[in-house]
Amino acid sequence: MAPLTINDVRKSYGALEVLHGVNIDITDGEFVVLVGPSGCGKSTLLRMLAGLEDISAGEVSIGGRVVNALQPKERDIAMVFQSYALYPHMTVKQNMGFSLKLARAPKQDVRDRVLDVAKTLNLEDYLQRYPRQLSGGQRQRVAMGRAMVRNPEVFLFDEPLSNLDAKLRVKMRSEIKQNHHRLKTTTVYVTHDQVEAMTMADKIVVMNAGRVEQVGSPLELYDRPANIFVAGFIGSPAMNLIAGRIVDGHFLGSDGTCMAVPAPAARLEGQEVKLGIRPEHLVIDPQGHPAEVLTVEPTGSETLVLMQLAGHEIVGVFRERITLAPGKPLSLSLMPDHIHLFDTQTGLRIPLSPEN
Amino acid sequence: MQKQSTGYLFILPALMVLGMLIAYPVAYTGLLSVTDNAGNFVGLENFRRVLAARATPIAFWNTLWWVLGSIIFQVLFGVMAAILLNQNFRGRAIVRSVTLVPWVVPGIVAATTWAWMLHTEFGIINYMLTAPGLIDKPIGWLTNGNTVMPVMIAINIWKMFPFVAIMVLAGLQSIPNDLYEAARIDGASFWEEVWYVMLPQVRSVIVAITLLLVIWALNHITIIYAITRGGPANKTLITPIQIFRTAFDGMQFGQAAALSVMFFGVAIVIVFIYIRTLASNPEEAR
Repeated sequence: MAPLTINDVRKSYGALEVLHGVNIDITDGEFVVLVGPSGCGKSTLLRMLAGLEDISAGEVSIGGRVVNALQPKERDIAMVFQSYALYPHMTVKQNMGFSLKLARAPKQDVRDRVLDVAKTLNLEDYLQRYPRQLSGGQRQRVAMGRAMVRNPEVFLFDEPLSNLDAKLRVKMRSEIKQNHHRLKTTTVYVTHDQVEAMTMADKIVVMNAGRVEQVGSPLELYDRPANIFVAGFIGSPAMNLIAGRIVDGHFLGSDGTCMAVPAPAARLEGQEVKLGIRPEHLVIDPQGHPAEVLTVEPTGSETLVLMQLAGHEIVGVFRERITLAPGKPLSLSLMPDHIHLFDTQTGLRIPLSPEN
Repeated sequence: MQKQSTGYLFILPALMVLGMLIAYPVAYTGLLSVTDNAGNFVGLENFRRVLAARATPIAFWNTLWWVLGSIIFQVLFGVMAAILLNQNFRGRAIVRSVTLVPWVVPGIVAATTWAWMLHTEFGIINYMLTAPGLIDKPIGWLTNGNTVMPVMIAINIWKMFPFVAIMVLAGLQSIPNDLYEAARIDGASFWEEVWYVMLPQVRSVIVAITLLLVIWALNHITIIYAITRGGPANKTLITPIQIFRTAFDGMQFGQAAALSVMFFGVAIVIVFIYIRTLASNPEEAR
């Protein structure tokens, strides 16, 4: 266990800079998820932490020790790869014990340690098998076991669940989380799946185009997204965004729909803004704004409704069982406490009350 | 059943061609081995004579050295070259192409070139060794009984290691990059990567190639025949050359055929043992 500091880290390939000065502080034992669309630089950053990519500029330190110039093996990290990268010619036992063998640990110690970890991961029965004789979930567990055997300061996960089917992914998600609770090892976890990020992280780092957009706890990011990108990325279905501007203390949509917004918005008079509202913060209200139902998707526990409102397609999620049909009109209102306003120019969120 | 017989009908032309090209020569060699030059049946007389010849055991031991020496170093240098060519460095594409040259050069051309380079008085190799004073007087590479076989083996290694290198390189390139990275994170040095990741992954390629090399070395004629014809004093006489010379220099077709039949038997046994012991690895059954 050790804290990990990423200080103004940059990565360039020739003249092309792909990471533009990333700063992240990770405290001891924290589970941090790097999330972002593909190509945002999250995997590159992780590989730089691992020592598989050079650090073009800036500093990475693990446990207070700058590791920029250190080889992967000297950094005291372990990594779980998306493809698992198990050695196909070694048994599960050999795979898990490989790093200790390379470190010239006594044979008995290696055996004990591997058995120990295998027990916690329910792999004892598979120790003599080869990776190809295992299912996807078992391989995933062996890959984690290989990392755990070394008892490293930091765990690095590179999209470890994306090769699994949906059901297994949910199961492995909680297994990883449980392991983290037990081991309390500092963890950096890369994923493009914001649900994984929300469910697993102590702290989420949202990245986009080589920059950190926002760092915070899952609910912080959900409730107070720093900008339009984070608002759209975190949450499923995504936050609805409606373009317009503030006129007479009201939000005037580009199609002329006028909506009430919290009073502090009055100071933005005349400014171009985007109004953001999450799907679950829409309420069916006979006094509300007129909308038209486009599609209805009942999931059982809730109903997703795609609607036309103020010239935009927006999604609403309703927990009550409602009978709606495409093409039918509907009246909606917005929960005032959950309205977000974003500056259209900068994309930044405009705080409407001191506490948010 | 109707379908099956129709199938046989379709493959009949191919079977006939194969029969003429493979079965007939083998059968005819068998027939030759028990007849004299006039075509009379002589039983095992040819076998007795060829086994009694003084050259036969010499050729047998020479063949053994030739095959072992060639294979070990062809595989060793080939694998080393493959690992080298698999690294990232400037000009890699050019080095890869140049490495292939010895294999691409026709055997007879290579043999003649080497014969000249190794010439005692005019050869460049002796010149390069004597000029800076590395040796006092020229070495008779091809006339000295102690150097001639190692030199032949060296030429054969030079000729064939690129083939091994290219095949192993293809195997190395199919190893996912993740495995190297996982090994680096597990703390492997470069040589540990070679030993624990690369070699096990190309093991099946090396096994298959070694088998090919054994067969080719056993049947080899070109280089040795072009340079020494088996001399001096039978120092480089290997069995295939003995067979060739018995047949076409000595005109003893019966004895040559008898030697061929025995050699064929020995080769089959060697290949069989090799496949049983090395090529089948129960752990890696897929």
